[in-house]
This record gives sequence, C-alpha cells and structure tokens, in this order.
Amino acid sequence: MDPILISLIGLALAIGVPILSAAITIIICGTALAGVGTEKPELLSRLIITVVLGEALAIYGLLIAFMLLGKLPDITTMDAANMALISGIIISVATVSAGAGISYSGSSLIAATAENPETFSSNVIGVVLSEALAIYGLLIAFMVIGQI
Amino acid sequence: MEEMRKLKVMVYEDYIDAVIQSLGHAGIVQLIDMREIPEDWEGVLVPYTASTEAIAKCSDLLSKIETAFESLHIQPNDFPSPEIPITNEPIEKVLAGVEQKLAELPIEEIKIYALASRIDHIIDDLGIKPEEVEKEYALTQSEEKELEHIEFELIELDKTIESSGLANHQILVERIESKHLDDYDEIGIKFAELAKFVIKSQRYFGKRLVSLKKTVEEIEGTIETEINFEEVRDNLLTLWKIVEEEKRIAEEEDKFVRSAKTVFFEAWVPESRDKEAVERIMKASDGNAIIADKPPTPDEKVPIITHECPSYLQAFGKLECAYGYPSSGDIDPIRVFAITFPILFGIMFADVAQGAIFVIAGIIFTLLRRNGKTTKGGDIIRYLLISGEMLIYIGISAIFFGFIFGEFFGPSGVIHPIFLFRIGPFQIGGFEPTQEPMMMLKFAILVGAIHISLGLILKFINELRHKHYKLSPIPICCIWLLFGGLFMWAYWGGISNISKWFAEGSLMFVGLVVLPLLVILVVTGLAEGFMEGIGFTVEVFAETLSHSMSYSRLMALGLVHSAMNYLFLVLGGVEHGVFPLQSIPLIAIGTILVMIIEGLVVFVHTLRLHWVEWFSKFHSGEGIPFKPFKST
Repeated sequence: MDPILISLIGLALAIGVPILSAAITIIICGTALAGVGTEKPELLSRLIITVVLGEALAIYGLLIAFMLLGKLPDITTMDAANMALISGIIISVATVSAGAGISYSGSSLIAATAENPETFSSNVIGVVLSEALAIYGLLIAFMVIGQI
Repeated sequence: MEEMRKLKVMVYEDYIDAVIQSLGHAGIVQLIDMREIPEDWEGVLVPYTASTEAIAKCSDLLSKIETAFESLHIQPNDFPSPEIPITNEPIEKVLAGVEQKLAELPIEEIKIYALASRIDHIIDDLGIKPEEVEKEYALTQSEEKELEHIEFELIELDKTIESSGLANHQILVERIESKHLDDYDEIGIKFAELAKFVIKSQRYFGKRLVSLKKTVEEIEGTIETEINFEEVRDNLLTLWKIVEEEKRIAEEEDKFVRSAKTVFFEAWVPESRDKEAVERIMKASDGNAIIADKPPTPDEKVPIITHECPSYLQAFGKLECAYGYPSSGDIDPIRVFAITFPILFGIMFADVAQGAIFVIAGIIFTLLRRNGKTTKGGDIIRYLLISGEMLIYIGISAIFFGFIFGEFFGPSGVIHPIFLFRIGPFQIGGFEPTQEPMMMLKFAILVGAIHISLGLILKFINELRHKHYKLSPIPICCIWLLFGGLFMWAYWGGISNISKWFAEGSLMFVGLVVLPLLVILVVTGLAEGFMEGIGFTVEVFAETLSHSMSYSRLMALGLVHSAMNYLFLVLGGVEHGVFPLQSIPLIAIGTILVMIIEGLVVFVHTLRLHWVEWFSKFHSGEGIPFKPFKST
C-alpha cells in the first residue's frame, strides 16, 4: 500500500475518533447538566468541568492530526507510514476509553452533586482520572510521531 | 487561626428562649444540631418538641401577615427593616402578643382606602372626567373583584392597541416616508377605528369606574375612626419581622434535646468570645444553667472562622471554596494558589499578545467591578467581573511564558524564544515547544515536580501544626522519592533505558527510589500498623508516578494552543514575523476562537491540576465554615 494513504488513514483516525468520543461525552454529560441546571443553576459553574474535559478529547485528537499533517512530507517509507497509522490508533483508543469514563462518571457526578453538593470534591476524581487516560495515550502517540 | 471551644449547656426549660435570644443578639455561637449526633444523647434525653409547635404557629402567623401585605399591595422587602424590641419573653408569649396585635389592626378598612386610591389612579390614567359620565352601572360582584376585572381588561386593551400596528412609531414613520397614497388611506381608516375604539372603551370604563368609586366612597363614609395607612403598614412590618425572628429562634431550638425539666444543647464558640458566651447564658438563665466548656477532641470536626478574601484574591477564594474549606488547623493555601495558578495557566497559554489582551480585559473588568457594577448582567458577566484581577495575573503569566517560548499570536516569528537557564537536561526557555516537544515535556514534568513538592511541604507544615510528629517524615520522603525518580530519569534516560536503572544505576536506584519507600513503609507501619503501611506505600509510589505524569498535560495543552494559533497564521499567510494586511481579520477570528475555547479548556485543566494533583496532598476540603447564629 501507498505510505501516504496509510498515513492519511492514521490521520483520519486521529481526528475522527476523538471527535466522536468528545461528541458522545458531551451528549451524555451535557444533557445531564441541562437537567440539573434547571433545578440548581448555582452548581453549573462547577459541573461544567465534565463537558469541558469531554471537549478536550477532541483537542487532543486535533493536536495529533495536526502533527501528522506536518510530518506528511517526511513519510516516504512503509515504516514511517505504519508509525503514523499506529499513533492515530493510539489516540483513538485512548480518547474512546477516556470518553467512556467521563460520560459514565460525569453524568453520575452531576446527579450526585445535585443531590448533595458536598460530595463533588471526592466524586470529581472519577472524571479527572478518566480524563488522564487520554493524556497517557496522547503522550505515547506523541512519542511515536517523534520517531518518524 | 483562632481556636474554637465547645460549650455543653443544660438550661432550666423556662429560660431557654431568653438564653437563645441573648446568644443570638451577640452572634457568637454556632449551635450544633443534636439530631445529627444521636449517639451522644439517645436513651437519656428526647428531642425538644416544643420548638416544632412554635415553628408551626410562626408559619401560620406569617401566612396571615403575608396575605395582609398582598391585599394592601405592599412589598415588605421594599421597606427598611424596622427595629424590633428586645425581649426576654418565651416564644409562646411573644407569638400570642403578635396574634392579638394583628387582630387589632384595621386591615379591612385599610383595604378600602387602598382600593379607592387604585381607582383614582386608573381614572387619572385614562383621562376620564367623572362629572361627564352619565349613565349608572350596576355592580355585579364585590368591589375588589370588579376592580381586578377592570385592570385585566385594560391590559387586554393595551394589547389590542399594540397589535393594530399603529403603536409602533418607527413602522408608521417608514410607511409615511414611502409616500403611497393607499397607505395613507389605510392608516387613516385604522386611526379612525382606533380612536372610535378608545373613546368607546373610555366611556365603558368610565361608567364602571365611577360607579365603583361611588360605592367605595360610601363604604369609606361608614368608617368612623381616623386611619393612618403608613402607621398600619409599619406596624404590620414590625409584626412580620418579630415573627420571622421567632421562627428562626424556634428553628435553632429544634436542634436541641431535653429531659423532663431541662433543655440540653451544644455550641461552638471562638476562644476569644468564650467568656462572654458563658456570662450571657448564666445571666439570661438567672444562674439556672450548667455549662461545660471544653476544647474540642482531636477527632471532632471543628468549624473554622473564614475571613473575607481581599478583593485581589476573590476569584481564587471562590475556586478554592468550590473544592472545600480547609479543615480546622490546616494552612489556608489561597496565597500560594494565587501564585501557582497563573503560572500553570501561563505555561499552557503562553502568548505575549493574547496575554496582553487578558491583562487589558482584566483591568476593564476590575474597574467595572470596583465601580459597583457586579449586580448587573447575567451569570457569565458576573463571573468575568469577579475574575477581573485573576485575568490580569494569568495575562501577565501568559506574557512572560510567551517571551520564553517565543509566541506572539502563535509561533509567528515576531519574538524569538528567550533562554533563561538550564538545570541538567531541563532547559528553561530558549526553545519553541512545537519544534522541540521533548524539551517541553521535560520542562512540564520539572514544573510538575516543583508544584507537587510545594504541596508536600504544605502537608509537612500541616502535620506539624496538628502535632502528628510520627507521620511528619512522610511528606519529606515523598519529596525525596519524587526528585529521586526525576533525577534517575534525567541521568539514565526514560523507558528506553530502563535496563540501565537496574544495572549500572542499581545503587542509585536503591538510594533514590527504594529507600524513601522503605522509610515510608516503616513510618506508617509504626504509626498505623504494618498492613496499612504496605497499602500506603504502594499508593504513594503509584500516586507519585501518575501525578507527575499528569503534568505532561502542560506540554500537551501548550502545544495544542500553539498549533491552533499556527493554523490561523498559515491561513493568514504570516511568514517570518510579517503580518500581511489581509491576515488581520483571520488572526482576529483565530484569536477570539482560541481565547474562548482554548482559554476555557486550559482554565479547567489548570483547575484540575490544582484540585486533584495539588490539593489532594494537603488540603482536605472538609472544613465547615463557622456560621454563628445571629438575630437582628
């Protein structure tokens, strides 16, 4: 296969899948947030963290896609093309996992905080730890691109 | 921070209201809800139910007073709150007095006066001349209902006039200016119709209003006594305040428990006001009280006295409190937080130009807020106004790191990275993050290690303040482990050279990584037991690793910021620091987009680094603010 085509598949994965997971995360957390917002609007400023962390997943994808785009002219061998593809897969899987984590713990966090606002500081851990998963993926994807 | 003391008080039941009123006037104690700690009294005492009856009575009276307000068209909150007399009487007696006074107030008569003034107001508004109205109109319902109907119909009339299209002045002018003869006809007809309609309705309402006025005046004539509306209103307001106050006291008393003849309660009091509180209780109860005054036990959750944040730290105070108040005896980290927050934000949002925009926006918001415009505008405007000073700090930080990483609206080439200094493999400044991401990663981890160790130092101080001397070496060992690991990584290399850590570097590994973990194991084992020690040591190891890794987001988000700006630079055709004229709108759009989206993401990540990685080291967030019970 053509190295450029393989790298482009990696690039498409790197931008497409994170955006999809960000969208799903925002759909789940955003709707929960809207529900709570009508009852307790004073909590919105704190709980918006779930939606923003979901949005950040798309930005990680964007970063990797952007770096791959910059590397495209250097990709001439199959090895380099494989690395581009793999980095796309890494960030895809990482953001999907992080997205799943944020969606589930985020919507529960929103419901729990609405019930008892004091639990926010301990429950938010679930969301931020899920989000850290994406950072790990990002780091490794980043290092793989560095090898091209 | 001021120490708190706990009062345990037993008062003879006849004096309990006087005691609570006296304490309420001073506003120095926070009463503890005994219902939440049944283990302290259950089996010996029973809940104090007298207050529940008083609360019901208060609610009943309040609803009566509020109905009176409503029928007299008074908004109680529009008036200054009246002075209420200080009394030491029991709640039941005060409420009985209020009930009697309420019955004596000439509310029905006042209602008629209010009705008359409303009718006069409408007659004036419509320009009706009562002497010109001829026909009589028979009232079919009560005067008040009739007036309500008239008011409702008038609103409908306003709507009809509006929907005729003539009320909109601008449309009328536009149509006249367009000079179509047909339009003139149409407008003329509409005017004529409307005039007819208005005159007709004026007659119709005139008839009704005048008859109504007459009836009301007749009733007015039957009232013999002179009534002063303002006096009645003030009396009503005073009664309202008294009942509200009694209700608050009854709600506080609902927290108490009792024996057959005594009432028992517990309260927190600041050490400096301790004597005053005891004296007040003894005086109000005529000596019929037993008071135990003790310092809190170590495992008790003691409320903390929160101080108002200075206005330049207000935004940080809100962010810290959103996580939780510091526990009693802990350091309040707000000043350190106000320094580290802008630094971390600035690293991720490094840009000279955008930082300057932040500073300008911050100055504008601060000035607006200081001119007292906080209350206007929606939620977002209010947040921006509060965060005025914070925007200035993060803007300055962004400008500083913008110079270090050479960013001016992204890596445009206007500014070249400024090299500051080098610590081993860690270079501070002098490189472009997008060109040398690994250098940026090292920088981010170094910043993370310094930030975490700052948190650990604060934890060390907290342990000393709480006199937990046995556990105090743990934060020091964590710093040892953190910088030991960092040194190993810098000296031998990362994952690809991990085999060297265990071969040539094995001695160093034992000294820098294994030894601090062993010390932690021994210290925790001695203090809390061996199994806890193992669990805690594993936790420390995993936490140190994952928390330092987490700071790599400084690099990731810094690069994202740079890359997003770069995108617009490429689109605008900016090269070697030259901004062509046509690139300016694109750069402007890009800047707005980046500042809003990226700004929000970076802000949340900075917050997250503080809340999760930093606060978890030393700031439990479990403190309860001291809210003394205060009556007006």
